Amino acid sequence: MKLRLHKKYKLWLLITVFVALILGLTLGSVGFAPKELFSIVSHKLFGASLNDTIKPIHVSILWTIRFPRALMAFLVGACLAASGTVMQSVLRNPLASSYTLGVSSGASLLAAFVIVSGFSIPMIGRYTLPLMGFLGGLGTVFLAIAISVRFSKTLENHTIILVGMVLSLFVNALLTVITSLSHERLSHLVFWQMGSFQGQTWTNISITSPVLLFGLAVFFYYSREMDLMTFGEEQALSSGVDAPKVKFVLLTVSALLTGISVSFVGIIGFIDLIAPHIVRRFFGSNHRMVVPLSALLGGGFMVVCDLVSRTIISPQELPIGAVTALIGAPFFAYLYFHKGNKHA
Amino acid sequence: MHKKHRILSLLLVLFMIFSFVSFAEPIQKDRAGNEVKLPEKIETIASLSPSTTQIIESLGLLDKLIAIDTQTPNYVEGVDSLPQFNMMTPDIEKLAELEPDVIFTTSMSNLDGNPFQQLIDLGLCVLEVPSSYSLEAIKEDIMFYANVLGKTEEGQAIVDEMTKNLQKVEELGKTVTEKKRVMFEIGAMPYLYSFGQNTFLHEMIELIGAENVFAEENSWIAVTEEAAIAANPDVILTSVNYIEDSVGEILSREGWEEVTAIKEKQVFYIDNGTSSLPNQYVVNALIEMAQAVYPEIFGESLPMAQ
Repeated sequence: MKLRLHKKYKLWLLITVFVALILGLTLGSVGFAPKELFSIVSHKLFGASLNDTIKPIHVSILWTIRFPRALMAFLVGACLAASGTVMQSVLRNPLASSYTLGVSSGASLLAAFVIVSGFSIPMIGRYTLPLMGFLGGLGTVFLAIAISVRFSKTLENHTIILVGMVLSLFVNALLTVITSLSHERLSHLVFWQMGSFQGQTWTNISITSPVLLFGLAVFFYYSREMDLMTFGEEQALSSGVDAPKVKFVLLTVSALLTGISVSFVGIIGFIDLIAPHIVRRFFGSNHRMVVPLSALLGGGFMVVCDLVSRTIISPQELPIGAVTALIGAPFFAYLYFHKGNKHA
Repeated sequence: MHKKHRILSLLLVLFMIFSFVSFAEPIQKDRAGNEVKLPEKIETIASLSPSTTQIIESLGLLDKLIAIDTQTPNYVEGVDSLPQFNMMTPDIEKLAELEPDVIFTTSMSNLDGNPFQQLIDLGLCVLEVPSSYSLEAIKEDIMFYANVLGKTEEGQAIVDEMTKNLQKVEELGKTVTEKKRVMFEIGAMPYLYSFGQNTFLHEMIELIGAENVFAEENSWIAVTEEAAIAANPDVILTSVNYIEDSVGEILSREGWEEVTAIKEKQVFYIDNGTSSLPNQYVVNALIEMAQAVYPEIFGESLPMAQ
């Protein structure tokens, strides 16, 4: 019975995400009929000839602007949700996320450094900012873990979380010092921190998607260990799980997924928090299911949020960070409590 | 005939008296509408925005300046040695110690309330002049500064000059037959910012005889990349100077290849200072814009007046 219910939910989730993606690709300041959409896609992918009614400028809008943007929204949503799920499970804390361990503050710090100094790495030029943001985010998490090991050989959860938060606050303070000393470039930094899906390219997609796949593969490989660890570390140890090692790998890979997202689109919260909770509510806590389904839900949800952010007051844009929480909070409340009541 | 003349001269005298009265009427409110009381004499001035400092400079009062904001040295020469204050979070103690006769600010609202309230309580004269959104309001601002500082004539001369130059551009702008559609970026990708009506930059685009692609919108706006491309501007202007080569960045954007302005390489940088600070120097930005968009009409012949 329960399994059949899961199957039904899974089907619904798949359909919803699929519809969200189609909507994300078709809706925007220029509308496309499905026929035009199909014509442009087959033109780009297979070199088919275009319908005469389609202007070249529309091809650019769809293929170079909207597709990368919508797909990137999906990838980033998936990365954040998967990473949030694993962080929550591994640290056995329903509020934990990569942000707790300082990914966002570390990324912001190095991004601020790049923006303020105008520093640019030769050869990669415009990718300097994402790369440094990525290194900053990942570096902070490593530092948090490294410090935690000093206090607790077994990587106790409370230690990691506490160290992560203290380090995060410290890094934030450094960031505040930099920003208050550099007014001229402040606007650039503030924009960067607000997050945006504007200006995504196919290159960004080709960098992010393998990272997401790699992360999901690692999570899948360790899903049994994660299942055991949710019952407590002693339990896991007695079942032969090398908890500290597994924890280290999982935390690093989670930080990697969040880091890559933050580096391309800035800091977007909320999805990493709610996606895992919703998925667990409907599909139980088996990580083999929860992680990929969270990723799917997070991706679909982010596509919808991005769609809203760029269409609701078109040609203007609402900051994505505001939209995720504005739509997400009521959505979360509805799903979480609605379902809870039915089964209570 | 004589009688008529006498009535006329009487009227003239009356008119002069009245205008003198209105002219001498003391200023009781600042540009934000706050009740204020001006000191008898103004010997020392604190100016907390670059735009204000530029106006004070053009009124010939730079030597009365005793404090500025941190941005001013980027726009006005010879003031680096003055104490500098952060306009959002000024060091109130230090400002109070300097005891300027007047303190000009652009905004007294802050998340924590009025950061200047303590100075007002100490009896200092704080005058708020919010950033103006229209050319007409900019002229009124200039007259406000001039009147407060006892330089009405000089202020009037600046405003007259400004009016004359605006008219010159407007007249030439009216001869434009093919209205070009202009997008003016004040924030570069990925955070495109532009503006609609109720901004002096929008007015300026219309003055030169062009059309703002976001004319339907209001005030400063964050625009989506899609909408910007779909608007297909003939010319793109940018005042972004926080990245190097903002024109090059625009020309090399992926997915913009089909936009007319990109295809025809009609992308130009407009000076950030003159196009963003609300004072008489916007005329210089206006002339730059005019010559960029319609070189054949505005050519080199327009005087760089202000």
